[in-house]
Amino acid sequence: MYCKKECIAMLLAGGQGSRLYDLTRQIAKPAVSFGGKYKIIDFPLSNCINSGIDTVGVLTQYQPFALNEYVSNGQAWDLDRMRGGIYVLPPYQGNKHSDWYKGTANAIYQNINFIKKYDPEYVLILSGDHIYRMDYKKMLDQHKATGAACTVATITVPMEEASRFGICNTNPDGSIYEFEEKPKAPKNNQASMGIYIFTTKTLIEYLENDEEDENSSNDFGKNIIPNLLGNGEKLYSYRFEGYWKDVGTISSLWEANMDLIGDDPILSLADQDFRIYSKNTARSPQYIGNSAVVDNSLISEGCRIYGTVINSVISGGVVVEKGAIVKDSVVMEDVVVKKDARVYTAIVDSDTVVESGATVGKENAGKADIALIASGSVISKA
Amino acid sequence: MAKSAAGIIFSSLNNNTLSRLTSDRTVAAIPFACRYRLIDFALSNMVNANISNIYIVANYKYRSLLEHLGSGKDWDLARREGGITFISPFQTAHLSDNKMFSTHMEALKSMKEYIDEIRDEFVVLMDSDTALTIDVSDVIRSHESTGADVTIVTSQVADGYSAKTPRLMISSVAGKVTQLAMSATYDERHPELALGIYVMRTAYLRSLIDEAEAYNLNSFTMFLLKNCKSSSYMTYKYTGFAASVSSFLDYYKYSMELVKNESARESLLWKKEAPIFTRVHNSAPTKHSSSAKVENSLIADECVIEGTVINSVIFRDVTIEKGAVVKDCVLFHGTHVCKNAKLNCIVADKDVVVSAGVTLSGNENMPFYIQKGRKI
Repeated sequence: MYCKKECIAMLLAGGQGSRLYDLTRQIAKPAVSFGGKYKIIDFPLSNCINSGIDTVGVLTQYQPFALNEYVSNGQAWDLDRMRGGIYVLPPYQGNKHSDWYKGTANAIYQNINFIKKYDPEYVLILSGDHIYRMDYKKMLDQHKATGAACTVATITVPMEEASRFGICNTNPDGSIYEFEEKPKAPKNNQASMGIYIFTTKTLIEYLENDEEDENSSNDFGKNIIPNLLGNGEKLYSYRFEGYWKDVGTISSLWEANMDLIGDDPILSLADQDFRIYSKNTARSPQYIGNSAVVDNSLISEGCRIYGTVINSVISGGVVVEKGAIVKDSVVMEDVVVKKDARVYTAIVDSDTVVESGATVGKENAGKADIALIASGSVISKA
Repeated sequence: MAKSAAGIIFSSLNNNTLSRLTSDRTVAAIPFACRYRLIDFALSNMVNANISNIYIVANYKYRSLLEHLGSGKDWDLARREGGITFISPFQTAHLSDNKMFSTHMEALKSMKEYIDEIRDEFVVLMDSDTALTIDVSDVIRSHESTGADVTIVTSQVADGYSAKTPRLMISSVAGKVTQLAMSATYDERHPELALGIYVMRTAYLRSLIDEAEAYNLNSFTMFLLKNCKSSSYMTYKYTGFAASVSSFLDYYKYSMELVKNESARESLLWKKEAPIFTRVHNSAPTKHSSSAKVENSLIADECVIEGTVINSVIFRDVTIEKGAVVKDCVLFHGTHVCKNAKLNCIVADKDVVVSAGVTLSGNENMPFYIQKGRKI
């Protein structure tokens, strides 16, 4: 069937996210819950559909089951399409090579046939690690206007943190003359967001060359981008302004959740103009009991709150019994906090039971000392 | 496993007596219990009993019902075979055949060609004016084991019960129906209220329609009354929470009972093995701000609560601004209560705006209704 697209997205969702420890023991990082009703992958997927991109390949590798189940036919993001739509692309056995995805570039290389099927002019490369709203169309418009081979989205980061990122050194017109991966002495603070738009022809050419290079680690930041620059291809940076957060660590994941609350939150999920979509379920409405106190918190459907919830983000189906206190915490699906239990400054993963009178975390501990409770735990009174 | 059954849901009983709530929608589409519509209970009861071939009969303003149902996918009823079949009156070349489905029997007669095609052994008839969560497969098992012609689900009512219009009331001995009557009030001679759920063999339904045609019977209840003595009708007693909504006041009282009574919530909404399915929207979690005070209330998603909410049912996407107090209210989807407004015993239909500082009060026996889209 004829199904040519102008631009398709390839979403790298195979990462383990090892710095999220127990949260990613059973699931890939993009499948980690966020903001009560969402998963990290909802953000790039919603961005795609809000930017008019209706064909997305999701490259999975590490613990893909939860992600596959969640993405399913893409209906939640309106990506169940007759032409295009969403496709989960795991590593596969071929008649010549059978390989795990060796690096980000190799993952795309192994799916060149998927790209070719849609014959796009441009390919958008995304990762499933960040919380942000972005109109990729604006970036694509710039890519077309400059005639670049590749456009790299960048964001201003604090200078003292710049050495943790890939830094783009640019000319006044935005063209990139140098790309430094985690430089010791960064020359500026324009960090790559790991979002690239390639002109398809160039992308395929460089992926094929990269594959033949045995010394390559098959990575966009380490190999493909430097090779493009080395060969004098036109690269531009696209400066993104807005909320963007790498939620690769427990403290940053906790912080990003806290950014959702407050009277004027830094990140609002209720924004009608640029919605973040997620898979919704038909849980019962939330019930807030007689003696409950709910203060500055997000509460999802299916919750039953009889105790106290302060400055917290509560996912669906959570029960907080009488006398219990949940404060400064992120509580994921179907957790039960029993009578008089305490949950302070914590991320409590799904299906955990905090037994009556038990305590998790320390009050007012702050982001450096987040208590992390693995999914399905039972926390008893000490 | 119970043998297979088909379902028929009647969507528009009591349109007249629920006048305000049904001025824009049929009974089945009335929002109830914070995030549902009445038909969700009938549909979910059937789906939870593995009934996936469901006919929905509609004749009255069914636009919002159709919109709610969509393809049926949210109830897992978007099926290659079966799923939802929507049946509404249509014109034919013979004008005299043009029936408007004004009674159950008229609808059943008109859908005879569908009923002839049903291959399931049993058929479950349900009205959508009653919200309850019932194990229908158990009703079918009971029907099969007693070998009754019709099994009628009933609930014992107490002295003092009254409905706005006469309803089918029953007396039974050891489950066998001994007397049927139409009554709007409690009567010790027939103290069981029929909850609008009937199980019978498909073959019996066909013979019932044939008989109704032969004798020109136009009422399903009349058929039951007429044949009570000669047939074997059994009751299945249901003891949980059942909201039989026959009037606006009923609607309000059952809504308040859900808020005030934990066992009502457990019976209707919180049965693990019997989830209630409904149309799902993409919505954000509800935000309780630091000035919010919420007590004893059911709240759907996508709400912003900055004021005080007590003993209320708050549907999706409702905003309650700072200083506003909402007590004993039912606020439908999209209601916006501005600063310092005070609402007491109010049922606000969709998209109502209550301006800053406004005070409105009904009382528990006469709640005040604000119609859809009004700005106060």
